[in-house]
Amino acid sequence: MSAVVESHDHHHGPKKGLLRWLFTTNHKDIGTLYLWFSFLMFLTGGAMAMGIRAELFEPGLQLMDPIRYNQLVTMHGLIMIFGGVMPAFVGLANWLIPMQIGAPDMALPRMNNLSFWLLPAAFTILLSTAFMEGGMPGFGWTFYAPLSTNYPNIAYFVFAIHIMGISSIMGSINVIVTIMNMRAPGLSLMKMPLFVWSWLITAYLLIAVMPVLAGAVTMLLMDAYFGTSFFDAAGGGDPVLFQHIFWFFGHPEVYIMILPAFGITSHIISTFSRKPLFGHSSMVYAMVSIAVLSFVVWAHHMFTVGMPLVAELFFMWATMLIAIPTGVKVFNWVATIFKGSITYETPMLFAIAFVVLFTIGGFSGLMLAITPADFQYHDTYFVVAHFHYVLVPGAVFSIMAAVYYWLPKWTGNMYDEKMGKLHFWLSFIGVNVTFFPQHFVGLAGMPRRYADYALQFAEWNAVSSIGAFLFGLSQLLFLYIIVKAVMAGKKATPEVWDGARGLEWTVDSPAPYHTFEVPPKITEQTKL
Amino acid sequence: MRKAFVGLIAATLFMFAFSFMLVPLYNVFCEVTGLNGKIYGPSDFFKSEQEIRERNVNIRFLSQVNESAPVTFYPSSESLEVVTDKVSKTSYVARNNTNKTLTLTIVPSVSPGLAAEQVKKIQCFCFEEQILAPYEEQEWPIRFYVDSELRGNVNDIYLSYTLFENNRETSMVMHHDS
Repeated sequence: MSAVVESHDHHHGPKKGLLRWLFTTNHKDIGTLYLWFSFLMFLTGGAMAMGIRAELFEPGLQLMDPIRYNQLVTMHGLIMIFGGVMPAFVGLANWLIPMQIGAPDMALPRMNNLSFWLLPAAFTILLSTAFMEGGMPGFGWTFYAPLSTNYPNIAYFVFAIHIMGISSIMGSINVIVTIMNMRAPGLSLMKMPLFVWSWLITAYLLIAVMPVLAGAVTMLLMDAYFGTSFFDAAGGGDPVLFQHIFWFFGHPEVYIMILPAFGITSHIISTFSRKPLFGHSSMVYAMVSIAVLSFVVWAHHMFTVGMPLVAELFFMWATMLIAIPTGVKVFNWVATIFKGSITYETPMLFAIAFVVLFTIGGFSGLMLAITPADFQYHDTYFVVAHFHYVLVPGAVFSIMAAVYYWLPKWTGNMYDEKMGKLHFWLSFIGVNVTFFPQHFVGLAGMPRRYADYALQFAEWNAVSSIGAFLFGLSQLLFLYIIVKAVMAGKKATPEVWDGARGLEWTVDSPAPYHTFEVPPKITEQTKL
Repeated sequence: MRKAFVGLIAATLFMFAFSFMLVPLYNVFCEVTGLNGKIYGPSDFFKSEQEIRERNVNIRFLSQVNESAPVTFYPSSESLEVVTDKVSKTSYVARNNTNKTLTLTIVPSVSPGLAAEQVKKIQCFCFEEQILAPYEEQEWPIRFYVDSELRGNVNDIYLSYTLFENNRETSMVMHHDS
């Protein structure tokens, strides 16, 4: 009898106190944990970027020696990729996938808890090297061997990557099992919302390539400590092999960081254009094609290692092929906006900026794909500008758009629209002032990964640094807006946005602790 | 649900194993296609007289010392005009600049990579480890020929040797006291 009463009580709401967060198996709690963790990492990696830009504000060495500079560059990359963007997307997946498919929770809730709590452990290990003799890893986030095998503290880096990888893989397994088994009756695969689709594909990519990353760092560890020579030419190994293995992971990885952004953008553009998304199934096929192609383009990161002509041509054409499904997506978004009754709330502003600026990043990617041109651009700031355009106003803007779009659903309060718009414009201007000039200095020949540069690059670097400080500081405003909306604000309706589509808008705002304990029925009338 | 879970775990383990399988796959791929300029062991294969199609090829010799190992290492001649299928001879010089005995590995590489297979070495110091006594200077001969199968558009071949000091203590422990 008492057991029944207890289990009844258990369903009413979260536990009290801090232990709630440690032991929670609720997808909404875990989503929240992921999102706050990624925000913390975003600020940490951002602070490192500020250090980098401060050093590059003028030529010469002012603030740090080149070794410290290399460490900041390396940690900035690792933290933003594995601590910022990826956990943010996993957090969104946790919050949204069960609500969008009408499931009560993720399929494997305890594993969900573990996969989150591994992350703080991994980043504690990685960041603890800052306090050790020898310091943080300084070989770039791509950790090319045999440079990296000769670094101190590499074991900490390797184990941190292992733990992050295990966390990502568990998260992906959870996503796939949830989507495959827990959809509401009537919700066929092709009817699924695009964010869910984008995550399904992303999860498969993660399962395919995170183990390869784990293999790469394991080989690194063995080369450094166990006397093997996977990548050491003196012992019969091959450094170029490392690059092949790394980029076999690395290229799908960059799509892991952009596919969920495609899903988010599709939802937001459709909502604020007040039209169903144009070409839902072509969007799905485009994402699948991008995912498949991502496995056959990796060597475009290494055109200059001395590959034979036929390989250079193959990777050039395969890379350019990706522009076709990506173009399909961009045209679909534009077609969705076309003749819509558009309003420009903050999420829509971020989504439109995403489409425009991501496309700029895509075009510079096409330029880099041209093999003979890449010999000129390789390892210059042009590459830095390219991947920051696809990652910052690409992935990061989509995450910000998603936070503004779903925040009223999470907190039950509307965020401050004026402040949100201010945050958007400061970020938009900041990002472009930071990264657009890097195209110029890159084409003029400024190499990446140096603490110093030739005098002729001084002006544009100063501009770039000012933009970076603007962008960095305006993220404090983002923090303020979120905290304010969590605390108080205009009460949000269940629908939140006029004409929003999807099951998550059929539950109350804030979403109750348990939703869809009885699966909803999906019919022709359900707005998806 | 259990089936999907087990399947995905299996896929993860497979991909981990696959990353290690990439190592032999890469080596086999390179050996078959000769793409990365590697040379695989000594060659003792000679052609019968009638197959020889003579052609002149210019061979340039390069040397590199990895991570500034304390060895002076250079080719005794910078380039050689050779006739295909005829055995030529040259040498490299190496001098130990320390008062310790050094064990060295020398790794060859051929550029353009696609010509690697046609550079046939009969004798080379790169086939085994070399030992230099304190301050000792040695001359290391190489004997090789260029196979006439060489592609028609290749007239210059770069033969490069990188010298590695074995069991070298890592020199990259860094200090930040400054």
